Amino acid sequence: MSALLFTLRSAPAQRVDVGMLNPSALAGQPLADIAAISLHVGKRVLRVDELFELSGDDTADLVFRGDCSKLERIGAGMKAGRVTVEGDAGAYVGQGLLGGTISVTGNAGAFCATGMKGGRIEIAGDVGESAGGAIPGEMKGMAGGLLLVGGNAGDRLGDRMRRGQILVSGNAGDYCGTRMIAGTIAVAGSLGAYPGYGMKRGTLIVDAVPARMLPGFVDCGAHRLGFLSLLYASWKGLPGVFGRLDASACTVRRYMGDMGVTGRGELLVRG
Amino acid sequence: MSVIKLTGGRVIDPANGVNDQVRDIYVRDGRIVAAPDVHEKVSAEYNIAGRIVMSGAIDMHSHIGGGKVNIAREMLPEDHRGDPVERTELTRSSCGHAAPGTLAAGYRYAEMGYTAAFEPALLPMNARQAHMEMGDTPMLDTGGYAMLGSDDLLLRMLVANEDQQTINDYVAWTLNATQTVGIKVVNPGAISAFKFNQRKLDLDEQNAYYGVTPRRIIQALSRAVHELGVPKPLHVHASNLGVPGNVDTTLGTMDAAEGLPIHLTHIQFHSYGTEGERRFSSAASRIAEAINRQKNVTADVGQILFGQTVTASGDNMVQYRNADHGSPKKSVIMDIECDAGCGVVPFRYKDQNFVNALQWAIGLEIFLMVDDPWRIFLTTDHPNGAPFTTYPHLIKLLTDRSFRNAMLDTINPDARAMSALGSLDREYSLYEIAIMTRAAPAKLIGLADRGHLAPGAAADIVVYREDADRERMFEKPELVFKDGELVVRDGRIVKVVRGNTHVVKPEFDIGIEKKIRPYFERFHSVRMSNFKIGDDELCECGGGSKLIAHACRKRG
Repeated sequence: MSALLFTLRSAPAQRVDVGMLNPSALAGQPLADIAAISLHVGKRVLRVDELFELSGDDTADLVFRGDCSKLERIGAGMKAGRVTVEGDAGAYVGQGLLGGTISVTGNAGAFCATGMKGGRIEIAGDVGESAGGAIPGEMKGMAGGLLLVGGNAGDRLGDRMRRGQILVSGNAGDYCGTRMIAGTIAVAGSLGAYPGYGMKRGTLIVDAVPARMLPGFVDCGAHRLGFLSLLYASWKGLPGVFGRLDASACTVRRYMGDMGVTGRGELLVRG
Repeated sequence: MSVIKLTGGRVIDPANGVNDQVRDIYVRDGRIVAAPDVHEKVSAEYNIAGRIVMSGAIDMHSHIGGGKVNIAREMLPEDHRGDPVERTELTRSSCGHAAPGTLAAGYRYAEMGYTAAFEPALLPMNARQAHMEMGDTPMLDTGGYAMLGSDDLLLRMLVANEDQQTINDYVAWTLNATQTVGIKVVNPGAISAFKFNQRKLDLDEQNAYYGVTPRRIIQALSRAVHELGVPKPLHVHASNLGVPGNVDTTLGTMDAAEGLPIHLTHIQFHSYGTEGERRFSSAASRIAEAINRQKNVTADVGQILFGQTVTASGDNMVQYRNADHGSPKKSVIMDIECDAGCGVVPFRYKDQNFVNALQWAIGLEIFLMVDDPWRIFLTTDHPNGAPFTTYPHLIKLLTDRSFRNAMLDTINPDARAMSALGSLDREYSLYEIAIMTRAAPAKLIGLADRGHLAPGAAADIVVYREDADRERMFEKPELVFKDGELVVRDGRIVKVVRGNTHVVKPEFDIGIEKKIRPYFERFHSVRMSNFKIGDDELCECGGGSKLIAHACRKRG
């Protein structure tokens, strides 16, 4: 068995929803049936094998190859298995993911990991805005699992996040952790303006006091928080900077906010 | 001139006393005719031997346009994402389950054999928007009931003890200005009272600011509607919706009309007692008994059916109370131009929830206990009790006792134990279903040329394949004609048409504008002349729909 490879014949000009091409949905389907699945490209309807060249046979291990920046909802809702994107991916990578692993070697578009409940997503490059955030109308963004970003994250990282962890090795944009309900976001680089706007609960972990803090965050002094050593230990071995943290370095400066809401969220600045 | 012939169908036409008689039907220029002239050729003949033929169904209470429906749509993008409707060669793409887009609503209604639907809570200030949405709804005839009763101007008139004639003129002026076919009152005076921090308003309780009681409002409006000769009785969403023990308020509301015609809408939500351990019980038998006794009273049920929907109501007092029960938990409770309000709360009715299960049973009890199908109407108060697409399922519940009892066995056992539903043997006949979904709504609203199949009637005709499974039968008619054109075949749209807009234009003393104009200039966000919707404008915003004005015979 070798990975089932979807190689784009040419980069589509319009966005294409490929959410149904995931290991859980394809399990047990013969290749001929997979090739016949219809995809909407603009107003045209194409068969999978018109858009992609197919090779390999393992439906539990999918690989997308070519310029995939217009492919949306890659790996959406899958329960188990592995999806790899060689290069960039479009929006909604891993929407509603329940289990398994998605890895993208390039960048991912907006709303990566939205509604994700379990499993793991690794983006080697940057993610667009609202990664782990809620799409309009949804009450919750990411609700479980782990999102690893090797590069930078866009604005509104983890908007309305409910549970799970997001680790960003680069920088994050404005309004990081906005309207967060619970969960953990750690950013190794800098944060944009007003992190934690409307944050109810949850934890933001950063390396330096953000340049533009909301007045709704209150300095609560330096603390040595035991749970951090457990948290760091759980990250040990992950790709990126968080896999190499010193588990004993758990003194932080703690800011509580957003006082405009419940004020039970925390922003921890590592010492 | 072309004549269409429907040959050999079994016609059920209660308005003309026809029950399952084999008859040919001829249609010329969108109208039913007795027979073609001798020199006329039949241009299209449909052999429908053995099929059931009825006039197009009419939904007399369905929220399909206006402010709150649009808020529900905006608020529930997941409802739209989760239920996409793809375009076809004929039809355009649309979406939505509980709060469908206008296109999906029109197509789905037509595919079920409905040819008309009436928006029951058309806020005068939103009339233009509502008509534009209904105009954008294909396939269907539409109309609206203008909402009065919590508007500042009427309440001021009642405070000032203006005579009934002045109120009549204001009501008639409103019907003309908003191009509507009836008057509705929602939780009389309470939408206003909510703004003065009242969270409950009983029938004889005074509005804290105006001192006016709901009873007084119902008296004034039901009399106005009656004296103006508007066919549609006052459409009343009574006080205390959803409150355990509200049956007394509901019975009191019937009395408040003082013998004049009154229509109580979604009466299921107003038929609750306080018996049992949980202080929530069915009062369906008292309500049904009252309807059976009082011939001036009509009601539609507002049946709930289990599943996800959204409740959209002008009753902000009730919706404010319900907001915490929303699922998903979000809501909009708002005031609209100080004249009314609105509350939108998404809701999921669960069959294992005691209250929801009992609500389900109460609705069915009312259907089965009210004797006269001419005075009880089949609605789910779309989308408040369930989306209108559940009507075929509801018809099966009413026509098939064993199916109903099988469903009853699956609901919350405590609710089942408290309901008399299992002991009710009645099964609705096709004739009775035709009454409550066609003949009776047309008669109630005063649509002289709809809801029946006699010569002269508009050729809104539905042909069903007889099927012992009534759900299957009613969800997919074989043929649907709208104004003489074949629009649906085998449950699929074959032609997209525009419906008509039904209105009434009662006469009134134009002198009333001397009172209304300064009020608009002083308090309103638009001028009176801009508030009024002209005939040409209505047809234009309806994409060229026809205006049908129904006669009013002045009384008193």
